[in-house]
Amino acid sequence: MRIALVAGAVAVLLLALVAVRFTSSSTAAAEQEDASLPAPSRPAFVIPKPEGLAGEGAPSRWTTVARPVSVREAADPAAAVVASLSPRTPEDTTNVVLVEGSAMDDAGRLWIAVRVPALPQNVTGWVPRSALGANSFVRTRLVVDLEALSATLLRGGRPIFEAEIGIGAPAFPTPTGEFYVRSKLRSLSPFYGPLAFGTSARSAVLTDWPDGGFIGVHGTDRPELLPGRVSHGCIRMRNEDILELGRLMPVGTPVTIR
Amino acid sequence: MPSEHSLETGLRLGQVDQDGAILETLERVQGDTRTGFLRNATIGGAALLGALALPGAGRAQSAKDVDILNYALSLEYLQAAFYTEAEQVRALRGRARRAVEVVGAVERAHVKAFQDALGAAAIARPTFNFRGVTENQRQFLKTAVAFEDLAVAAYKGQAPRLVSNALLAVAVSIHSVEARHAAWMRYLFDITPAANAFDEPLSRQEVTKIVASTNFVTAPGRTERKGTPRFTG
Repeated sequence: MRIALVAGAVAVLLLALVAVRFTSSSTAAAEQEDASLPAPSRPAFVIPKPEGLAGEGAPSRWTTVARPVSVREAADPAAAVVASLSPRTPEDTTNVVLVEGSAMDDAGRLWIAVRVPALPQNVTGWVPRSALGANSFVRTRLVVDLEALSATLLRGGRPIFEAEIGIGAPAFPTPTGEFYVRSKLRSLSPFYGPLAFGTSARSAVLTDWPDGGFIGVHGTDRPELLPGRVSHGCIRMRNEDILELGRLMPVGTPVTIR
Repeated sequence: MPSEHSLETGLRLGQVDQDGAILETLERVQGDTRTGFLRNATIGGAALLGALALPGAGRAQSAKDVDILNYALSLEYLQAAFYTEAEQVRALRGRARRAVEVVGAVERAHVKAFQDALGAAAIARPTFNFRGVTENQRQFLKTAVAFEDLAVAAYKGQAPRLVSNALLAVAVSIHSVEARHAAWMRYLFDITPAANAFDEPLSRQEVTKIVASTNFVTAPGRTERKGTPRFTG
């Protein structure tokens, strides 16, 4: 019995020694292996956390006119023509249109509903997508209040700019409706102030005005007349106001005149 | 191979980038135009040096790395614009719509990272005309598969050419993300997400040819100028 106990103790001791030796040799091997593999390279820079698009709701979409095209009453090449579009504006900028929808015709062609800078006011119609260029998106909207003689720029539905304005005299009323900004001119004429936005709105009275009687939003050399009903239909504001608006309002911005 | 990409996705070759903006970018790293690029970068004063001042742990040590980063940025611009427009147009449905929101945010993050890393040497964002593809579910997914496969192959093609190991670590990290996107878009388009045991890289020439075939890069509109207005006043 005593001999058996001693033999068992020796066996346990031997097993323990083997286990310790095995463990230590495995650790050493792992350490040796680790030492032979370099640590991962530290990245030169990290990618920031992905962020969703800013702002709530759908932005307004505008696009350039790529080639001369007829605007039709429906998304159908046989539909009646309501207006025509050219790739250039009278100010020699790229012509743009506000997009209001899209539809596929029976032949699988994509058509785009656009607001048209033509009389009568608020004309909309359809053009083939192939006649248009790159899409752009804005979250701004200019609201012109003819009663209050004020212009307010909204971004994401919140007002970010407001100014007193001059509007058309009774004989030359500023048109009402839904329009958009289609050009931005750094003005060389003191009469228009330092900056003028071209809009898609047109005077219903001054139809023989050079270049079609388009309504602008611009500065003035007669700030003492503002606010008032003093213009030929354009929306005038003080020069410091139009310069600030120039920093805030991109081309393509929808314009509501009411 | 480019022909396989074209056949698989239906993208047509032969249409030409209108103003050559992205092609110029893609080709900048070619031998032909490399000298011109470097000269331009030098003309910009410390532009190139500024570009090398990467934030964080690393610095691109060579003009070659700057070229490759700009090449990657050009592809990220393309992808980010594509998904962002699809999200804003809101014509896609179901799981594709959700995928666009996620992938678009990731591609925009890639763009921002490359822009920050390159600083003044970052190429300008081209103008893209996606010609209605973002408004058609099937065409959108087909093109998304092509773009993601292209990005995966392009990163694979350039990563071994990077001089800096720190930039290689970034490239490999982005490459695996693009591969996940590729699998996701393939799944949504109902084609096998990962059928191959080994992926081939694409050269810059092959990538350039495929991008050109889309005709998605266009000249920007000019909506501002100096002049005397002729509005009614």
